[in-house]
Amino acid sequence: MKITHEIKENTIILTLDGELDASSSVMLDEELSDPEIMEYSRILVDCKNLHYISSAGLGVFISHLQRFEDAHIKLIFYNMQDKVRNVFEILGLDLLMTIVSDYEEARSIANE
Amino acid sequence: MLYKTNAKSLLVISAVVSWALLLANVLLSAESMREQGTAKIALPFVSNLLIIVFIVAVFLFQRMSAEALKGIDFIGYLWNLFSKAAVAAYLSVALFLGYRVMTNYADTESVLLLHLVYQINFGLLVIFLAKAFYIWRQLLLYHKNRFLQIAWDWFELLLGATLLLTLFNFHYTSFIFLPLLSLMGFYILFLCTNLKWVAYLTFNNKSRSLVLLGAILLSCYIFVRFFRGMSTSHDLVIDYTQVGFLLLAMMFVGFYTLAAFLVSLFSLPTSSVFEQKSEDLLNFQRLSQSIQQGQSEAQVYDMLFESTIKASDASAAWFELVRNGEPQVTQLLNVNSDQIKRIRHLLLAYNIHNIDYINNNLNRNPGFRDLMLPWKSLIILPIKSKKHLAGVLYLLKDIEQGFDRETVNVLRTFTSQTILTIENLRLVAESLQTERYKEELKIATQVQESLIPKNFPVDSWFEISTHAVAAKEVGGDFYDFLQLSESRIAIIIGDVSGKGISAAFHMAQMKGIFHGLMQQDMPPSEFMKQANSALSRCLERTSFITSALYIIDYSMKGFMFARAGHCHTLYYNAMMDDVFYFQTDGLGLGIIRDKSYANHIREMYYDYNPSDVMVIYTDGIVEARNAKNEEYGEDRLKYMLEQTYHLEAEDIKYAIINDLQDFTGPDNLYDDQTLLVIKFKPVEPNK
Repeated sequence: MKITHEIKENTIILTLDGELDASSSVMLDEELSDPEIMEYSRILVDCKNLHYISSAGLGVFISHLQRFEDAHIKLIFYNMQDKVRNVFEILGLDLLMTIVSDYEEARSIANE
Repeated sequence: MLYKTNAKSLLVISAVVSWALLLANVLLSAESMREQGTAKIALPFVSNLLIIVFIVAVFLFQRMSAEALKGIDFIGYLWNLFSKAAVAAYLSVALFLGYRVMTNYADTESVLLLHLVYQINFGLLVIFLAKAFYIWRQLLLYHKNRFLQIAWDWFELLLGATLLLTLFNFHYTSFIFLPLLSLMGFYILFLCTNLKWVAYLTFNNKSRSLVLLGAILLSCYIFVRFFRGMSTSHDLVIDYTQVGFLLLAMMFVGFYTLAAFLVSLFSLPTSSVFEQKSEDLLNFQRLSQSIQQGQSEAQVYDMLFESTIKASDASAAWFELVRNGEPQVTQLLNVNSDQIKRIRHLLLAYNIHNIDYINNNLNRNPGFRDLMLPWKSLIILPIKSKKHLAGVLYLLKDIEQGFDRETVNVLRTFTSQTILTIENLRLVAESLQTERYKEELKIATQVQESLIPKNFPVDSWFEISTHAVAAKEVGGDFYDFLQLSESRIAIIIGDVSGKGISAAFHMAQMKGIFHGLMQQDMPPSEFMKQANSALSRCLERTSFITSALYIIDYSMKGFMFARAGHCHTLYYNAMMDDVFYFQTDGLGLGIIRDKSYANHIREMYYDYNPSDVMVIYTDGIVEARNAKNEEYGEDRLKYMLEQTYHLEAEDIKYAIINDLQDFTGPDNLYDDQTLLVIKFKPVEPNK
């Protein structure tokens, strides 16, 4: 698992590369727990190279969901692979989180 | 042991008796000589025999008393030799002086008294020689090899053989014996080169041994001087300088003592180096032992700090522990934090992180000169492995060129040994942690196993077949049932996120919630809402539970269900001959922890027909992966049901599980796998 972040104005783009399982979810949790992240109003998560997400990985997103919502930070996933998206859908997370097809769409939703 | 004690007392008795007889014989001869003034000695062979018996008895006694070397307390041996035998020489001097004073005072030459003194001195000499001989043997044979042992055994034998000369009253200066004796002399010189024990003496021990050896040498000199002086006296009836054995034994004792004295004296300046080396070795040993003794990292650093200061003789030092990339001074010696700050500031400018740095003349460096430090040499030793930097050691000396190459090598060995020790300590701690974790998983597995019902009620309305395996690392699948009334049964399946004890714990909670709430017989959607509310208070923030609850009503021939983030239900409808998934919405439990959860749950009612099949499972089934990292998937599961729906529930289950295992291959279990196959029967219930 590799997590890289890129900053564009008030947007932070996290790129997830690999498999988000119990061990790598700790890295993600550290990344999302960073107080600096609250300075941005949008968090875009590029899931193009995210091949697998375990319940622990989902748990990290879930645990931060409320915090971002309270701070009016938009959390948008894009480029999600079908099987990963399926996991989000089965769990019902697609109705709670914004999952869009590509970067352009993520960008336009973020600017709304 | 008894035999040895007996032999010893026998030897003592024979020594005393032979000496007394010898004395009597000598006194008798002296008396007769004084009266007749002719014969030098009355019975030479008798006295020679007595001399030999006495010498042999004393030497054998000492030989038996000599104990094997214990440890390296060589000073103890020297002291033993001096206190028990060498003082005899001083005693003999006192005795002789006493005799002289007495004869001078009384102005009479007492031949008998002279012989008495002479005989006593002879006894003391033999005791001294025997004691010294066998103590030197112990030391000489320290670190022996086979050759040396053989050489020594021959020496003892040859020396013993020289007693024959005395027995047959041959004079050793005559015939061919003199060259042979001089050859023995060379043999003795060769033996005297074995002084390995001296190397083990520390500086202090050497100084003490010099005093003792000097005293022993003096004893040798006194004896030699006394007997040589007396040999010219015409009054004596017997002259012990003519006993070749005594001469050779004295040669050996004297030469060996002299050699030991000289070697100790000349190795005195180098002994501190050996002391340092052995101290370093001991410290290495202590460092590597600290793992077995279960010492902490802090103790290892303490040891490093002390050892390196001793090894380098540094006048000031400090150690910085690197924690989270920040250096933190943990050990200090003769240096204050202000000086540390200034030196570190300067070093930062030189940009020499993580490499060994030696500056042997700080005064010539303008940066250091400005700091006005009292030191002239500095060495920086990072304690680092390939991956990370554990700390940095700074050593300072107040002389120029204070860190020579040899010292630096030793210091580097210390640091690499330290990092090895630290890493090993961590590995040990990690393996302990893993062990604990394994134990925890074992408990979790047991809990999980105990929470899953072993038997479903046998019913004529439907047949049910279950399959559940727990993966080693992830655990949290569960299912259960509750008979609500005669014609209604509730079946729940779920998956707790997380692993180990916490998953098993939440599973138990979920089971409690299921049994508690379903006593009140509520519809599945209501159950989910209330379960979500209950779990909101006890589930940790990153955890959630997916679940699906089915209430089957035989009398109505229908079932009600709600899905909370759990896998879709696979269904075969016999009437339509169709296999499909129930695509319903439903959010996992514990994701939203307020009342709005109610908006995310849907309930569904479905009428079933006889021969319909319902397949309930957890994500461990559809997300099972093969070697190529492909997922088993919903499609393949659906295909399997299409092929097997006509079979009995048990056989459908086996077909699916077999196919799944074919797909993943053996020993490829990532996640728990739970599968329930329910087949509704075409027969009427037996009322």
